[in-house]
Amino acid sequence: MLTTKRTDRALPTFITLLVVGVLLMTFDVRLDGGGVVGVLRSGTQAIVSPVQRLAAFVVNPVSNALDSLSNVASLREQNAELSAELAEAQASLIAVQDQIAELELLEQLYDLGTAEDQVGRTVANVIGAVDAALIIDKGTGDGVVVGQPVIDTNGYVVGSVTSASPGSATVIPITAARQGITVQVGSQTGALSSQAFSADMTLSMVLDVFDAREPVLAGDRVVTSAGSTNFPAGLPVGEILEDASPESTSLNTTVRPFVDPETLRLVVVLAWPPDPITAVTDDTVPEETTTTSEAEGTTTTAPSGEDG
Amino acid sequence: MRGRTALTIALLVVLAVVIQTTLFGRLRVVTPDLVLLIGILLALTRVRPEAILGVAFIGGLIMDLLGASLLGLRAVVYTVVAYIAIRTKERAELGRVTIAIWAGLLTLVGVVLLILIGTLFGQVSLLGENAASRMILVPLANVAVAALLAPTFVRLVDRDRTALRYP
Repeated sequence: MLTTKRTDRALPTFITLLVVGVLLMTFDVRLDGGGVVGVLRSGTQAIVSPVQRLAAFVVNPVSNALDSLSNVASLREQNAELSAELAEAQASLIAVQDQIAELELLEQLYDLGTAEDQVGRTVANVIGAVDAALIIDKGTGDGVVVGQPVIDTNGYVVGSVTSASPGSATVIPITAARQGITVQVGSQTGALSSQAFSADMTLSMVLDVFDAREPVLAGDRVVTSAGSTNFPAGLPVGEILEDASPESTSLNTTVRPFVDPETLRLVVVLAWPPDPITAVTDDTVPEETTTTSEAEGTTTTAPSGEDG
Repeated sequence: MRGRTALTIALLVVLAVVIQTTLFGRLRVVTPDLVLLIGILLALTRVRPEAILGVAFIGGLIMDLLGASLLGLRAVVYTVVAYIAIRTKERAELGRVTIAIWAGLLTLVGVVLLILIGTLFGQVSLLGENAASRMILVPLANVAVAALLAPTFVRLVDRDRTALRYP
C-alpha cells in the first residue's frame, strides 16, 4: 500500500518537473541565453568555479598522465625529434632576438605599433569542460567578457566566450558553435560551420563559399576574414581537407581545424574589438596581459602595449 | 528524506558535478556521466521517488548551467531517466552484473534522449564532438562505474551496511 502511494506521488512530480524543464528550455531559447538565464549561469559558475579550480590542481596532472599513457609509444621518438628541433630553434632564437631588439628600437624612433599590440590578451587555464564547452579560470574580474574571441597559445582560433562570472568563463569552440564564422581561403570568403556528426569521427568543419570563383586545394590555409564580426582578421583557423571546385557559384568542402579543443590546457582570450575610445584618443594607456602560471599558481599582470 | 541523507546526496551530487566537469570533462575515452548515474542509482535506495526525481532534475540543471547547452535540456533528460529507473528497479536488484547492465541501458536511454532533444532544439553541436560515439562510450563507462560503486553508493545513502548485498 505504501509503495503504491509513493508511486502515485512520483508521477505528478515527474510531470511537474517535465513541464518546468520544458518551460526553462523555452525561456532559454526566447532569451537567447541572456537575461535571467545568463545571470543564473554566471551565478552557478561563480559558486562552482572555486571548487573546480581546486579540483583542477589535482585532476589536471592525472588527466595529463592518462593522456600521455595513450601516446607512450611515440613519446621517445618525439623526444629525440624535439631535442634536435630545440637545438635549431635556440640558434634561430638568438638571431631573432637581435632582430626584435632592432625592430623595437625602430618602432620607438618612428612611433609605430602593430595592430596586434593594441589587443589585450588574457592567458587562462582550462579547468574543466562540459560537453564541448570549456571552462577557464579567468572571468570578468580579469577583463574577460562575453563575446571575446579565444585563441590557443600558437594563435590558432579556438572559439569565443559565451558566459562569464567574476572568476571563470565558458568558451564554446568554433567546432561546436551554432553560428558559423566568416573565413577567407586565398582571396575567397566563405562561412565555416560545425559538423556534429562527422562520418569518419574526425574533427572537421564544413566550408561554404557562396561566391566561388576558383577551386580550393587540400592543405590551403583557412583564416578569419575581415568580414567577421566576432574575430580579428587573419587568425589561422584550419586547413582544407579535400580539393573542391565551384559548382555554379558555390563551393563546399571540409576543413580540419588546427585546434582540437579537447587537448587544450591553456587558452588566450583577446580583448577584441579593442575599446574604440581608448584606441583612438589615448594611445598611452597600455593594454594589460594577465597570466596565470599553472605550475606556480601565480598571477601576474603586465603591460603589453606600446606606449605612445 | 532526512537531513543527513539529504546532505549526503547533496555532497555526492556536488562531487559528481566537479569530477564530471574536471576529470571526465578532459578525458576522451573514459567518459561516464556521473550525475546521470546518481539519479539512476538513487532508485536502488530507500529515498522517496519524488525526492529522487528532484535530485535528478537539479543535477541536470546544474550541468546545464555550467555548460552552454540549452537550460533544462539535461534536467528533463535526467528526470526522465530517473523516473524509468524508479519504475524498473525491481528488475535490476538481482546481482552486480544485472545492476550494471540496467544502469548502462538507462544511460543509453539518457544519451539518446539528450541527442534527440538536443537535435530538435538545434543543440547537438554543443553536446560535443562525435555525438554518435557518446552513445557507446558513456553507457559503457557507466556500466563499469555502476558495477564497482553501486553497493557502496546505496549503503552510503541509506546508511545501512547490509543494503544491496548481492546473493
